[in-house]
Amino acid sequence: MTKRRMFLRMVTASLLRRRSRMLIALLSIGIGATILAGMVTIYYDVPRQMRAQMRSYGANMLLMPAEGETLDSERLSAALQKLPEEKLVGASPYRYVRLDMTSRQQSFTTAGTDFEQVQKTSPYFSVEGRYPEAPREILVGKEIAEMIGVKEGSSMELTWQPAAKDASGSAEDDRVPGATLSGSARGFGDAAVYVTATLDDEARIAELTIDASTQTPEYGGRTAEDALFLKQFIGKSLPLSMNEDVDVLSGATVTSTAVVEALNAATAADAAAKPKTTRYEVTGILVTGGEEEGYVFMSTDDLQTLTGEDRLDVAELSVSADEEQLNAYAEALTGDGVQARLVKRVTKSETAVLGKLQALVFLVTVVVLILTMICVSTTMMAVVSERRREIGLRKALGASDNSIRGEFLGEGMFLGLLGGALGAVLGFVFAQVVSVNVFNSSITFQPLLLPVTVLVSMLIAAASCLMPIKRAVAIDPAIVLKGE
Amino acid sequence: MALLELKNISKIYGELKALDNVSLHVDKGEWVAIMGPSGSGKSTMMNIIGCMDKPTKGEVLLDGEDISRLPGKRLTDIRRDKIGLIFQQFHMVTYLTAVENVMVSQYYHSMPDEAEALEALGRVGLRERAKHLPSQLSGGEQQRVCVARALINHPELILADEPTGNLDEANENIVLDLFRQLHREGTTLIVVTHDPEVAEAAQRTIVLEHGRVAREVVNENFVE
Repeated sequence: MTKRRMFLRMVTASLLRRRSRMLIALLSIGIGATILAGMVTIYYDVPRQMRAQMRSYGANMLLMPAEGETLDSERLSAALQKLPEEKLVGASPYRYVRLDMTSRQQSFTTAGTDFEQVQKTSPYFSVEGRYPEAPREILVGKEIAEMIGVKEGSSMELTWQPAAKDASGSAEDDRVPGATLSGSARGFGDAAVYVTATLDDEARIAELTIDASTQTPEYGGRTAEDALFLKQFIGKSLPLSMNEDVDVLSGATVTSTAVVEALNAATAADAAAKPKTTRYEVTGILVTGGEEEGYVFMSTDDLQTLTGEDRLDVAELSVSADEEQLNAYAEALTGDGVQARLVKRVTKSETAVLGKLQALVFLVTVVVLILTMICVSTTMMAVVSERRREIGLRKALGASDNSIRGEFLGEGMFLGLLGGALGAVLGFVFAQVVSVNVFNSSITFQPLLLPVTVLVSMLIAAASCLMPIKRAVAIDPAIVLKGE
Repeated sequence: MALLELKNISKIYGELKALDNVSLHVDKGEWVAIMGPSGSGKSTMMNIIGCMDKPTKGEVLLDGEDISRLPGKRLTDIRRDKIGLIFQQFHMVTYLTAVENVMVSQYYHSMPDEAEALEALGRVGLRERAKHLPSQLSGGEQQRVCVARALINHPELILADEPTGNLDEANENIVLDLFRQLHREGTTLIVVTHDPEVAEAAQRTIVLEHGRVAREVVNENFVE
C-alpha cells in the first residue's frame, strides 16, 4: 500500500466513520455550494431572462428616414435584414396621418401599423376586444372611443383628405383663366371643408361649390346652400380677404373662414387627390394609459389602400441586446436612407436594473460563502478540539506538522468535493425553481458549473480549515502520556 | 554499550525542579523500570526520553547523539525513527480498525504495509480482530494493538507509560509476556510504572523521588 492510499484511507475513514460531526460540515458546505451554484446560474442567466422580460417595456430602438429621405416598407425590411434574427423581438412600422370622421366633424390621428409586430414591441398594449385581423378592421384608442361613443363591434367611416397643397406658391401659379381649383381647410371641429371653384377668362371666380358636409348642418353646413353667401364670391379674384371681399355667414363664422382659406389655398384639381372614404369595423378599444389612447390604429395595408401611398414615418424595434450591442446595431442599421436611434430611456434603465440585480446576486453569493466559511471553520475547530488526543497521538507516533496539516486539509477538501458536487446539483435545481417561479422560463444546465462549484467549494473548505489546522499543529504530543 | 544516557539533567519550571540533576544509563537490550510516586518526576523524565520535551540543563544521548538541544522538528524525526511508544490509555485512532491503527505508525515512519501490520497483530494474538474498530475491542486487546503498533517499525527503544495501569491481571500478564518476548529479541525497554509487580519483571528498577534518583534496584530473580 502506498502512502497516498493510506492517506486517502485515513481521510475517508475519518469522514465516513465519524458521520455526525462531518455531516454538519458537509451540510454547510453543501448548502453554501448550492447557493453558489444557484446564484452563479442565475447571475449568468438573469441578463438573458431579464432582457426578455424588459422587452415588455417597449421598443428600445427607432428607425427613421434619414434627413431628406423617405421610409417605405422596402427600405425597412432591407434594414431589418442587417439584424440577427434571434435578437429581433419585433419591429412595428408606423405611418401617422389625420383622418376625418365626417359624420362627427372630427379628425383623428391614425396610425397604420402591423398588429402582429405591435404585440411584440408593445406587449403592454391592452385591447378590450381583439386585435384586427381582417382588412378594414381597426382599433380605437380609449380616449377617442369615449369621446365619440364607439364600442367593440361598432363601425365608423374615416375619410382621407389628400394634402391641399404640397409646395408653397403653387396655389398662386394655378390661378389662371379657365382653371378649376379645389382646396380644403379645417373648419368647425377640425373637420375639413372642401371647395371647388371655376375661374373665368379673367381668372375671377365664375362658379363655386362648397362641400361642408362635415360641418353642423344647421350652422356651418348652410354655407354650401346659402345663395347670398355663395353669390358674394362670384366675380372676385383670389386671394380673398375675409370681411373685405366677403362677409361671414352669420352663425357659421368658422366654416365661412374655412371656405375662404380653402379657396386661397386651392390648387388645380387633381383627380388622384380626391377625398376617399372607407367604412371600418372597430374590433377593439386600445387601453395603454398613454397618448396612444388618442389614436386610431389600422393595418399598414388598409392605410395604404386609403392614401395610395407606401410611406412610413418610423419603425419601433424591440431588440434583445445590451446597450453596447444596441449601439453597434444602431450604427450598422444607419445608412441607405434610414437612421437608427436608441430609446435611451429604455436602454439606460434596462442596463441599470440589470447591473443592480447582478450586483445584488453577487453580494448575496459572497455573504453566503463567508457564512459557509464561518460555519465550516467552526465545525472544524470543534473537530480539532474533539480530536486533540488523536492529533497528539499522531504527533507522538512521529507525524510532522506538515502531515497534520495535510490530513486536515485533505479532510476539508474531501468535504469540499462532496459538498460541492452535492451543491452543484442542488444549486441547479434551486436556480431552476427560482427561474421558473420568478422568470417563468427554465434554464439549461451549464456543464462548466459542476467543476467550478466543486473547485470553489474545495477552496472554501480549505480556507475554512486554516485556523483549525493552526490549532491542531500547536497540540503538544505529550498530552498522550499520563493524566488527561 | 549505552543506548540511552542522561547526563545530569534538570528540568526546572520556575521555582519547581521537576528533575534535579538526574543521570541514567540504559544499555542496548536492557529492560529498565522507572518507579516513583506522583510528582516524583517520572512523567517529565518520560517526556524527555520520548523526545517530547527538552531538559533545562544536562545532556541526553540517544544512540550516542545529543538530542537535548535539537529543534522540535528533529526530535519528531528521532522519536519516529527510534522510539516505540505505549500508553496507559492505549490511545487508538477511534475511527480506524486495529490493523489501520498499526499502519498509521508505518505511514508516518515509512510505508504502510498491510501484510506486515497483520503479522504484527498476529504476534500479539489479534490477527482475527484486525478489522475491528477500537470500540469493538476490550482494553487488553487495545493495549496489545498498541504494542503491535509500537514494535511495527522495529524501534531501538520501547517506552511504555503505565502500560498495565488500565488492565486486569490476565491482560497484564499477556502484555508482560509480550515484553519478555521483545526483550529476548534484543529490544531495549523502559517501562514507567506504579506497579511493583510490573517493575519486578524488569532487569533493573530506578526509583525517583522529588526529582532525583532515590535508589536503584537490580532484580535478582530476573529470568531471561
